[in-house]
Amino acid sequence: MSLLEVKNLRTYFNTDDGLVKAVDGISFQLERGETLGIVGESGSGKSVTNLSIIRLIPEPPGRIAGGEVLFNGEDILSLPAEAVRKIRGRRIAMIFQDPMTSLNPFMKISKQLMEMTELHLGHTKAQAYEHAIRMLETVGIPDARARANSYPHEFSGGMRQRVMIAMALSCEPELLIADEPTTALDVTIQAQILELIKTLKQKTGTSVILITHDLGVVAGMTDHVIVMYAGKIFEQARTKELFASPGNPYTKGLLRSVPDPTAEQGKLYQIPGLPPDVAHLKPGCPFADRCERAEEICRREFPPFVELTPDHHSLCHFANEVYVESVNAKRA
Amino acid sequence: MSSQSTPNAPETLVAIRDLKVHFNLGHDRMVKAVDGVTLDILAGETLGLVGESGCGKSTLGRAVLRLTEPTSGQVLYRNQDLARLSGKQLREQRRHLQIIFQDPYASLNPRMTVGQIVGEPLETFRLARGREAEQRVQELLETVGLSKRFIKRYPHEFSGGQRQRIGIARALAVDPDFIVADEPISALDVSIQAQIMNLLEKLRREKNLTYLFISHDLRAIRHVSDRVAVMYLGRLVEIADAKTIYVEPLMPYTKALISAVPVPDPEVEATRQRIVLEGDVPSPINPPSGCPFHTRCPYAIDVCKEVVPQLVEIKPAHYAACIRISPAVPHIEDVPPGTAPGLD
Repeated sequence: MSLLEVKNLRTYFNTDDGLVKAVDGISFQLERGETLGIVGESGSGKSVTNLSIIRLIPEPPGRIAGGEVLFNGEDILSLPAEAVRKIRGRRIAMIFQDPMTSLNPFMKISKQLMEMTELHLGHTKAQAYEHAIRMLETVGIPDARARANSYPHEFSGGMRQRVMIAMALSCEPELLIADEPTTALDVTIQAQILELIKTLKQKTGTSVILITHDLGVVAGMTDHVIVMYAGKIFEQARTKELFASPGNPYTKGLLRSVPDPTAEQGKLYQIPGLPPDVAHLKPGCPFADRCERAEEICRREFPPFVELTPDHHSLCHFANEVYVESVNAKRA
Repeated sequence: MSSQSTPNAPETLVAIRDLKVHFNLGHDRMVKAVDGVTLDILAGETLGLVGESGCGKSTLGRAVLRLTEPTSGQVLYRNQDLARLSGKQLREQRRHLQIIFQDPYASLNPRMTVGQIVGEPLETFRLARGREAEQRVQELLETVGLSKRFIKRYPHEFSGGQRQRIGIARALAVDPDFIVADEPISALDVSIQAQIMNLLEKLRREKNLTYLFISHDLRAIRHVSDRVAVMYLGRLVEIADAKTIYVEPLMPYTKALISAVPVPDPEVEATRQRIVLEGDVPSPINPPSGCPFHTRCPYAIDVCKEVVPQLVEIKPAHYAACIRISPAVPHIEDVPPGTAPGLD
């Protein structure tokens, strides 16, 4: 049994602009000990996917309109709220982009960490305190015992993200969801945090879902990747395979539009146009207007989700052709 | 793309001389945001200025345009010290220097139409009026890839990338020859970043522009720049051409910075040895003595705490500020332990 199996998940929002199908029928699974990257641009649905998994979609305006989220075989979407609260933080933990807004500014760091294990593991105050110190040491907070009594504002951005990771991992969750965990950080601090997540993952065997817009981060951190666009999964594959032989024109365009620091300068490939307005999608493929190989059928019919290999799928009328091109280009 | 292959030495368009910007926080506390920067920006080049948050790169960009008043030092535009000009002369010169901001959401007046935003500088500098101004605005919108139908619309009706194009059109309205681009792509999605980088490059070629391109994104900097200057805690620590700085960084901070950049290639990432720096960037309020980087530098020795390193031409046209290297021993890995050849 997979640790996590998402089946045909749909999350919709009622807005003034009409119904937004932020996540529209996506399916994927995550095995124990693996890291899954979810890549996409703003509005692609990557964050909504993860908020849906842990049932943190604000209702209204949002609602989970359908699907299943099987966590160890149990459907989180049909559990009572109380049961979900017990999973959240204990068995599935999250870290977000901005650690300042996820920490309570009025509460000492130690106290915030202690709450986790007092609540979920039934620790006494003394046990929780010692555990908090150990976790701060684990994530590399220097002089942890002294600094545990600081408030969040006394920490730098990188240190606050370390505290968030300490909190997230303090109950040894089976799944860690990291939503753009390094986007607000400087590149040398990003390297520290990514290194930390990798080391802790190896130590604890936690599975990770890493949401990011940075293909470089995906390349270094993940085993599998999902590429999202307009609420759909456009491509999913093993990370190496996706980078080596993308089978979707959107993925291909994204990969080509990131400057490669090892290549010569020159005109950068650019995907033309803008991401679509998800509230007013036209029939056909949502990427068709920006796609260089779109044909008439793409504007008329929604594309099929084509199986290229057993663990490589692409949402495209021409998935096979695109894939073969990539494979041949790689050989050449 | 390099345009420096001309046989004659390229002309310096903007010369920055020992520029300092210090902010007084009261209680005897001082932030030395820019602390003695000297730099020549050559006509027609894109000079990339890279560094982490708080290093002073944006303050430097603003001080060059005198949007932030420097504490001391000079900025010469075509050999003229802008600070010494006044009134009409200053106005006339100043229009040649423009800026594009990071946040396309915050830098456009929400109550003005696109036409007004782009047309305003034409009026301010009395370059065009009425029908002619309108014509000019239409041309500018087309130049940056926006439909002239947008002229009567308001900023909120546009996406981030489109707003950045509006900001670029506005900067171009007065026919500048020097533009400070302050993190122009940081707030944008990946696919839109490529569009804006290509647009800026196209404009540079067509309009003979010179850019100071400020960014924390080394991949973008490497792509757009001819030369790159690296900044750390208010000082420049390395300058070289874009390829060299990536392939052969000399100053230990630059080495760490380059090695921290994730490469979008799983095979490369799997085998890469990363220099992971310890600790955070120190506070600019109380910067370390000597070399500002010594607190995090894996190669620091005692003397680094005392001596402030100067930028030295270690290799031809490649400057680095580190006392532990010298033209004779450019690579720190080759330097005998405990020695500082840069001091000899």
